[in-house]
Amino acid sequence: MLDKTANPLQRRLLESERLMEETGCYDGITELRLRGQDPLKFETLHTKLRAYCVSAREMARRISASPGVREVGEMVVAIYTPEGDAIALSNGIMVHVHTMSRFIKWMIRNGYEQNPCIRDGDIFANNDAFIGTVQVPDVMDVVPIFHEGTLVGWAGAVCHELEAGGITPGGDVCLAQERFTEGLFVCAEKIGENDEIRRDYVIRCERNLRMPIYWVLDEKAKVAACIDMRENVKQLIEEIGLEYWQRLSKEFIEEGRRAQLARTRQLTVPGIYRGHTFYGHVTEGKPGFQPLADPNWLYNIPIEMEITSEGKIRLDFDGTQPWGYHSMNCTPAGMDGGMFVTLTQHMNFEGLVNDGAWLATEINIPHGTWTNPDNEMAATATSWALLLPAYGVFQRLLSRGFIARGFVEEAFVGQVNSPMIEMGGTSQYGTGFGMAHFECAAAGSGALAIKDGLDTAYVGWNPESDMGNIEIWEQNMPMVYIGRSIVPNSGGAGKYRGGCAFISTWLINKTDHLRLVTSEHSSRVFDNGGLCGGYPAPTCEKHHAVRNSDIHERAERREPLAHTPGTDPLVSDFERIYKGEQVWEEGPYITRPHKAGDIFSHAYNGGGGFGDVLERDPIKTAWDVENGFLTREAAEKVFGIILKEDAEGYPQADIDATVARRAEIRRERMRKAIPVSEWMVREQLRVKASDFAPEVAKMYRSAMKLSPRFSKDFREFWGLASDFTIAGEN
Amino acid sequence: MTTYSKEIINDLVNGTLPWPQTRRIMSAYKDDDRFFKYLAVLQDRVAWAEAVLLPVGDRLFICDSAEGRITRCECGYSFGDYRKNWKLKAAINVRDTEESLREIYPNSDIPDSQWMEIREFFCPECAHLHEVEAAAPGYPIVHDFEPDLEGFYRDWLGKPLKDQS
Repeated sequence: MLDKTANPLQRRLLESERLMEETGCYDGITELRLRGQDPLKFETLHTKLRAYCVSAREMARRISASPGVREVGEMVVAIYTPEGDAIALSNGIMVHVHTMSRFIKWMIRNGYEQNPCIRDGDIFANNDAFIGTVQVPDVMDVVPIFHEGTLVGWAGAVCHELEAGGITPGGDVCLAQERFTEGLFVCAEKIGENDEIRRDYVIRCERNLRMPIYWVLDEKAKVAACIDMRENVKQLIEEIGLEYWQRLSKEFIEEGRRAQLARTRQLTVPGIYRGHTFYGHVTEGKPGFQPLADPNWLYNIPIEMEITSEGKIRLDFDGTQPWGYHSMNCTPAGMDGGMFVTLTQHMNFEGLVNDGAWLATEINIPHGTWTNPDNEMAATATSWALLLPAYGVFQRLLSRGFIARGFVEEAFVGQVNSPMIEMGGTSQYGTGFGMAHFECAAAGSGALAIKDGLDTAYVGWNPESDMGNIEIWEQNMPMVYIGRSIVPNSGGAGKYRGGCAFISTWLINKTDHLRLVTSEHSSRVFDNGGLCGGYPAPTCEKHHAVRNSDIHERAERREPLAHTPGTDPLVSDFERIYKGEQVWEEGPYITRPHKAGDIFSHAYNGGGGFGDVLERDPIKTAWDVENGFLTREAAEKVFGIILKEDAEGYPQADIDATVARRAEIRRERMRKAIPVSEWMVREQLRVKASDFAPEVAKMYRSAMKLSPRFSKDFREFWGLASDFTIAGEN
Repeated sequence: MTTYSKEIINDLVNGTLPWPQTRRIMSAYKDDDRFFKYLAVLQDRVAWAEAVLLPVGDRLFICDSAEGRITRCECGYSFGDYRKNWKLKAAINVRDTEESLREIYPNSDIPDSQWMEIREFFCPECAHLHEVEAAAPGYPIVHDFEPDLEGFYRDWLGKPLKDQS
């Protein structure tokens, strides 16, 4: 047994935590002395560190072979204190800045300084979410920074790998029911020494991945970024002195903590905020799902946020569902990461961005729920399925605070799931391959409180959203695009609509074996919401494919082709135009292999709306219809906006007719609506009778079993006896 | 200190400020005098004289009134004591059939109404749609926001509210 107490780094970590507890300030820094002495130097040095990070990331992207990293920037780098707290970070997938912090602390707590030892030139890697990441494809590398024999910090980098060697190709392995099918795990391992990645590690990667070139070259890119940052930090320490650096790096984090508290007090209002979202996982009877994971699941995600008078943000997930034998579980690291990336986007747009912001928050993730499984065998490969909706709620809760305070320009209806498509089999070059297609990094955003959401330009995990160029994706997969289009009405309706999503349609090409798998799209329920009267955005639940299509024959005959499934929810344009076997699939798409000549379409999600639809600008709506963001039908039926055509045939708002139609809709609203008190009397009977679909009843029973508070609130709201339970057995 | 005129705040709140100007406001340091200018803009919008104390939605405010501090629609309708959930005094329409969901989602996949319903909360007076909930059948109505109103005015703004007791 190692004598962990003799580990100096571990003592430093414990001491740092003790000082935080005792003084309330990071590492006991009760006074920003260096900042006070020379604020300009203080700010300049932090800007330098940030520049090291941004520059290292850009350099690394040019080493990577993966279109995920090169094209859409699925990478982040950061510089840490010896105890593993982030001092400065780059842009990119910032969710991993704090997960990497957990990885470093895990190594320290587990005696790595003694065995396997932490030496100058060492390279450590991890993708185990229970140690510190979100999911298997998020592989992180860190290197220690030494100055004259003393460990003075860490440099770290994360890339999302496009292939992780799981039971299905890609990395977001929806079929994983326990960790053993998620892919290649690297559990806080030393993978290199003397700045060189070990050959045996590379061989392990090469023999366990479908497309090792992505992972292995990304490793090289990350190590190059880490070495670049390390050398810059060493140079900086030469200039400013070790003692100054040690104090400075701690002051940066303490200032980040104070800035977060101040920002909360500046932008919000203290109090209790609440919201919820849901996620439907329909896998019953699908090929590959084993008995434990076979049933369908409905997840409720209630969130309560308290903003204290000090300015601290406390998030509470009490009342949510248990973890399960599916891949959507999340670890505390992932939950922390979600909090961190949301804060960096919405509150830390000035000043120092680092782990200090995270230190100004608290999070309750009840043990045994999907947020904090009490079984480390649980799979987390598609954590994002629940993580994104959850932190979309967080964004709406924060936004209500921004609206209350008057900072309407910061209010944002929130992020959405952007379903992933992954594939493998035989490539167009005749070789084995596997890949996650990362154009999903460009969903529609939620609306703002002053304008429409961003169309095809936002995802929560990476604010630098980018769908990548078609030509690059086509180089990497045996499919060619026959369409990439805006999905009309895919943003949630509202005074300001959510951003629209896009849909891609591909022709499978030059292969007789292509497996396609999708994940992270909720079935039967919307997994996002609107705000202040805005509606949720529709969630993509189904896929459409045509097997053995006659597209080549139609092209030969110069006949029109369908480039999207169209806007008729009942009969698609594929069915109208193409002959072949028509496939509609609900939930994760996981079927027998496709081959050349098949057609497949995959859509992403739009964001929720803001405000009452009847206040939407008719002129803006005419522009939306003209450009394919809304249909004329939706403009009239949903928004009450009547359009006519101008002299050139373009849609033009008919203001008088719109005013009349909206007055009519208001009257209709009043005719249909009933007092809430009346509705509650009726609904109470339904609740008492447990008159719910089996999945809904199961959801209530699970939530009540895990959470005394949820049970109490549920019973009190419906006026039920204190021992009331929903009928049935889980 | 960054500061903007009441007119600019008015245009910003109404979504009519030109985008380049809005973008500059988003990128700049925040204006610490925003809240009371914001309240003044909102006060100009409403027909009643009692003070708006805190917006809790797009057209929903906590304000003073003869019956105490209440949540109020911009049209003047009172949803009662601001500490209680205003939704319980709203009018509700629930979309829990394919037909009613299709009215809002004409082209897309829609929820299974056995798993999820859309609840619309209207002002019973002016029919303004104040909030939409997407929830499983039987899910309690959520109390969105319980501000610490007194604490906010006293500790954060340094202008304690008058005691109403």
